[in-house]
Amino acid sequence: MEDNVRYKRLKGSSNLRLRLVLATLSGTPILVHDIRADETFPGLRPHEVSLLRLIEKVSDDCLVQINPTGTKFKYKPGIMMGGRCEHDCGLSRSIGYFLEPLILLALFAKKPLSIKLTGITNDSKDPSVDTFRSTTLPMLKRFGAPSEGLNLKIESRGVPPRGGGAIVLTMPIVKNLEAVNWIDEGMVKRIRGIAFSTKVSSQFENTMIHAARGIFNRLLPDVYIISDHKTAAQAGESPGYGISLVAETTSGCFISVDTAISYLRKEESSEIEDERQELTPPGDVGEQIASALLEEIDQGGVVDSTHQGLLFLLCALCPRDVSKIRVGKLSPYGMETLRHIADFLHVKFHIKPDPSTGTVILKCLGCGMKNLSRKLS
Amino acid sequence: MGVLTHLDKFKDVKKLKKTKKWLKDRFWAEISHGAKLFYLSGLINGKYAKREIHNLARFISVMKFQPLSWRSSHPYILVDRFEDVTPPERVRMNNKCDRNITVFGYLRGCNLKRGTKVHIAGVGDYSIAGVTGLADPCPLPSAAKKKGLREKEKLFYAPMSGLGDLLYDPDAVYININDHFVQFSKVDDANGATTHKGLGFYFSDKDPDVGEALVKSLQNTKYTINEKLEKSFINLFSRKPNISSEDQSNANHSKEALEEIPNTEPSTQYQSGEEIEADGLCGEGVDGDLDGSKSTGQDEGVQEDALTRSESSDSDEENSKAVEKQGRHKDQLKEHIQFQDGRLRRKVIFGNDINHTELKDSDEEDGSDGNTGDQDDDDDQSSSGSEFSEEDREDQKKDDDMGNISMWKQSLAERTILRQNTNLMHLVYGKTTSTATTSNNEAQDSSDDEESEDDAFFKPKGEGSKKLRDGLVDGNVNSNDCSKYINYAKDKNWKKEEVCKSIRDRFVTGDWSKAARGNEVADANSEDDDVVYGDFEDLETGDKHDGQDADDTGNRAVHNEDDLATEERRLKKLALRAKFDAQYDKSEISEESDEKEGPKFHRGEANDSGHYEKMKEDIEIRKQMNIAELNDLDEATRLEIEGFRTGTYLRLAIYDVPFEMVEYFDPCHPVLVGGIAIGEENVGYMQARFKRHRWHNKVLKTRDPIIVSIGWRRYQTIPVYALEDRNGRHRMLKYTPEHMHCLAMFWGPLVPPETGVVVVQNLSNNQAGFRITATATVLQFNHGAHIVKKIKLVGYPSKIFKKTALIKDMFTSDLEIARFEGAAIRTVSGIRGQVKKAAKEEIGNQPKKKGGQPREGIARCTFEDKILMSDIVFLRAWTQVEVPCFYNPLTTALQPRDKTWQGMKTVAQLRREHNLPVPVNKDSLYKPIERKPRKFNPLVIPKSLQKDLPFASKPKDIPSRKRPSLDQRRRVVMDAHERKVHSLLQQLHLIRKKKIEKRKLKEEQNRKKHEEKKAKEENVLRKRRREERQERYREQDKLKKKIRRKVEA
Repeated sequence: MEDNVRYKRLKGSSNLRLRLVLATLSGTPILVHDIRADETFPGLRPHEVSLLRLIEKVSDDCLVQINPTGTKFKYKPGIMMGGRCEHDCGLSRSIGYFLEPLILLALFAKKPLSIKLTGITNDSKDPSVDTFRSTTLPMLKRFGAPSEGLNLKIESRGVPPRGGGAIVLTMPIVKNLEAVNWIDEGMVKRIRGIAFSTKVSSQFENTMIHAARGIFNRLLPDVYIISDHKTAAQAGESPGYGISLVAETTSGCFISVDTAISYLRKEESSEIEDERQELTPPGDVGEQIASALLEEIDQGGVVDSTHQGLLFLLCALCPRDVSKIRVGKLSPYGMETLRHIADFLHVKFHIKPDPSTGTVILKCLGCGMKNLSRKLS
Repeated sequence: MGVLTHLDKFKDVKKLKKTKKWLKDRFWAEISHGAKLFYLSGLINGKYAKREIHNLARFISVMKFQPLSWRSSHPYILVDRFEDVTPPERVRMNNKCDRNITVFGYLRGCNLKRGTKVHIAGVGDYSIAGVTGLADPCPLPSAAKKKGLREKEKLFYAPMSGLGDLLYDPDAVYININDHFVQFSKVDDANGATTHKGLGFYFSDKDPDVGEALVKSLQNTKYTINEKLEKSFINLFSRKPNISSEDQSNANHSKEALEEIPNTEPSTQYQSGEEIEADGLCGEGVDGDLDGSKSTGQDEGVQEDALTRSESSDSDEENSKAVEKQGRHKDQLKEHIQFQDGRLRRKVIFGNDINHTELKDSDEEDGSDGNTGDQDDDDDQSSSGSEFSEEDREDQKKDDDMGNISMWKQSLAERTILRQNTNLMHLVYGKTTSTATTSNNEAQDSSDDEESEDDAFFKPKGEGSKKLRDGLVDGNVNSNDCSKYINYAKDKNWKKEEVCKSIRDRFVTGDWSKAARGNEVADANSEDDDVVYGDFEDLETGDKHDGQDADDTGNRAVHNEDDLATEERRLKKLALRAKFDAQYDKSEISEESDEKEGPKFHRGEANDSGHYEKMKEDIEIRKQMNIAELNDLDEATRLEIEGFRTGTYLRLAIYDVPFEMVEYFDPCHPVLVGGIAIGEENVGYMQARFKRHRWHNKVLKTRDPIIVSIGWRRYQTIPVYALEDRNGRHRMLKYTPEHMHCLAMFWGPLVPPETGVVVVQNLSNNQAGFRITATATVLQFNHGAHIVKKIKLVGYPSKIFKKTALIKDMFTSDLEIARFEGAAIRTVSGIRGQVKKAAKEEIGNQPKKKGGQPREGIARCTFEDKILMSDIVFLRAWTQVEVPCFYNPLTTALQPRDKTWQGMKTVAQLRREHNLPVPVNKDSLYKPIERKPRKFNPLVIPKSLQKDLPFASKPKDIPSRKRPSLDQRRRVVMDAHERKVHSLLQQLHLIRKKKIEKRKLKEEQNRKKHEEKKAKEENVLRKRRREERQERYREQDKLKKKIRRKVEA
């Protein structure tokens, strides 16, 4: 059995999530080699191993083989099963890192997925769970995912370095996605947001909200940012605070930004000599994040730069129909996504800049993906 | 559709009607509800009525099928033409080497993308080594009406028919010309030379004489043999082995031909033909040298590009261009001469030149992309600027090449815009894929092939493109995997009023019209681009309506709003039209069927038609939208994005197919090449809803190999049949049910759910029964199969305590017992119990005392009552059934067609062949059951219990006697009187007995009589009742008819 499997050889650890998702959906076995082979700490990072574990957990008969040093692994995809499960995401990356591939896989699973993920809910590197709930899930609905059963519940929050957050994600399954024609970005009609704090004073939230509103006030009156102060068990293990903002447009697009401030993780902070790093004060955080949101709005496009990759993936996974989308400046991750899509699914996008608005219009013919693992009743 | 004949044999109209109805019902039950039946009324003069046959033909032609989802979602090609393109050298070395083949045919089903794998029916799965779109060899006749079909205009298409007079190959176009056109002039020779050997269009029906051949060969040699050899030597280094070697061999051939001419054979003609080919190739080589290209590999690419280009572009325009070009260069002059000779051949070489420059052009772009690759979009302007200058240079060059065609300069501005557009794609995909089509890949592949034949095809498709953008990727192989793009380049201070103003219009509080306009402008712009692009295309092909278009663009921006609306309207209209077409067809049919078969049929259709119609409409609208979206792209990009469209004539190159396919190729049998969708090349277990065909007269046995046909594939596999229990358990069946659906689990290449399956057992043509064994639908697939069967573990008590017993022989090890702890057990007598644990050594299991090992597998069980040593204990459990991982693809194309493919045989077949008896398990045989009468032990009542019992119930302690009692022992002696009485009594008894017997007999007779009488009466009564009923029904019917008539009136 083992010998006649032809592995697609890939190099390096970059875009591991994309590779795993596309390999699973397209059923191509992959072999990734030279993973941080020349670094001081070679091999897979804990979060990458955890991701592999997660995929193993939600799929049936998939095969993951990692070599002793962790610089090389083989992955033979199985069938996505879904169902109920739990997973500890560890502390090296936040839950957002795991959610991005998971939602795509769960859409094409055999049974609806209901999974409890524990770890870090908010950090500055990955999209926070709030953003997922406010922006990513509505985006899936546009592609034909049924709204019932599509839910994300935040049970407790956790920020680095010690995490302690937990969420419950339920995902429905689809027969196939629907192609979209999504080029109308519309105008921003309301801004919503959540400011949270764990194990710190609730004043932090109010300061952030106040600062953010200060920037929006000149542009839009309809700004409403709720504060979410967590205490005791719900607050996780570490102190921190953060904010997530969503701008909703008249055509139903959601543009979001988020950030979280907390103490750094051990391995990161080891380089820094100081015992206690300086944290950005909440006022500055509010201002920065509001500016970032305006920046995203300024960029144009129907999604923000964070969601570009997911948008492209969803378009490529549509049936053999044309999808047309408009995004702002192509983000590096988005471009990587496009390349990987071309590699795995043989779908190429037609990319055309729209100079008058500074946006980019992409067109593609979906790869005709169907949910093969779904059971016929 | 069924056809009923011999209906004229029914003389009685009523009976005929009844039979028709009965047959129809039967037909519907067998085939599908609402299936059409056609009645032929009978023979007249040994023929069916012409009118009826005509109608039948019409019915057949307008028959509507439900669209097959498999065919509409997979690309496939019914092969028109099949060529073996293995380098002859390789074949010569090893006749059984894997062959490279090319197949030609129209693409059907859906669009074919690059990189899809294909399944050749009867051969196996292959990745496509190269795809090229070709011009339709049999285009639709032009609109102009013609009275008759002339010989020249004949359009003829059929698989493997040779497609008339034109043949396309990667390096030449062949024209077939009839024998009588062949003359001695050079003109015809050039044509004749191009005749392809593979298809057997030899001219040499009549033996040409020696002189003729000699003259012809001499006419065609432009170079001396030495020269030729030199050139072919240059080609020897080319990356593509087949051409060079062919070239060489051709040269050799020609040499031989010249030598052998004195003793001419019929083959000389054909050899001289090859010679010309060699000539052409050499000529191309020369061209390449003149242009100063060093790498011959590139040259190959050029050649192939040339082909695709020349075929895709319109020949007329090419011609006109060629006329313009006339007399510019010396070598082109030569080509021009050729142009006059053989029409299409010239084109190939002409295209060569253009494309060569283009390829260079693309190379340069590559370079510039490499520079700009890492920079952001912001740099686009500058890079496009630099490109502009490059473009300029290019164009200069092109001008040098092509002469000063003023059109080229006009479009420069537009072209830069265009470049910018494609540039973003280049930035992302890192490669100029627009010009370098698959043929390029092919060249690369073949070069790889030469280097390491084994590895080349195990490389993933994307590898080639990856190499090219390695420079781009290399830097961040291990970069952080993060979707969030943090570009907080805080150069803007959003607190400032003027900065805020810049995005005010993106908010609802801003200027709505402005924002709307912004959107519109974007759209207009995009359309403008397209228009401009259209211009460019036109320019290239030599048309001149650019100025007009430029005006149009101005207008269009103004009328953009209208355009959008009209666009939408147009879409809707198209969809409506399609819908109407569908409806019209349908109504036509139903009308016809109404005429013929009465109104009954219509009912069934009307029911689902609403749903179908809606779905059809949706699909149609979607299709039109797709077409509209894709229409504004240029050909190359379109190809890139949607793949080859259905209806294109394609040439597929497939490498390394088994030589048997070529050897046993039979044009009378269709060759089907079907595309494989994502995930369909993986293998796994599939679960199908399975039903034995009602015409197949046997049930199927589990694990008997069957041949299934799923999608493109046919393979032999071993199924396990199962039924789903109410609790969701899949219980194995030994045989399929007679008339019910069951589940079949088998191993094979996965297909999406809802795919239909046809099952046969044997492929031979001469079978007595109905060949189709079963039909099935794939429900789902799994990587594991979960089918269980019942298992009964049997054990015997080894020691019994009160309600606990130690059971042996049920399990073989303590580990096994641990697995079954808590399982329910039962004795034969019905006492229920439970498995507790493995028995401890010291209790009932003391072999140590006897010096042995403690025995494993003795379980301690408890029961609801004390069991007996003679009881047998059962444990009922379920055990997993393994579905064999076996599938054997049918390789019917790899053997002579008249031979029947033989796969795995069933056990029964093997037994029959080897004359082996069916093994009999002695224990399974039925034997007369012998039961010994049971001997029960005496009942013992415990003393404590006895004490409380009343005296009557107490067991009496009566000592047993040795001798019988007095009563038993004594004898009765009767005196005379007593004896008399006794005998009298006996006689009386006898009399009474006899009397009773007599009476019984009489009663019996009476009863019989009575029954007979009753039956008679009943008969009469029944008859009368029936008559009454019939009368009543008749009246009711009359009444109904009357009412209906009234209603109708």
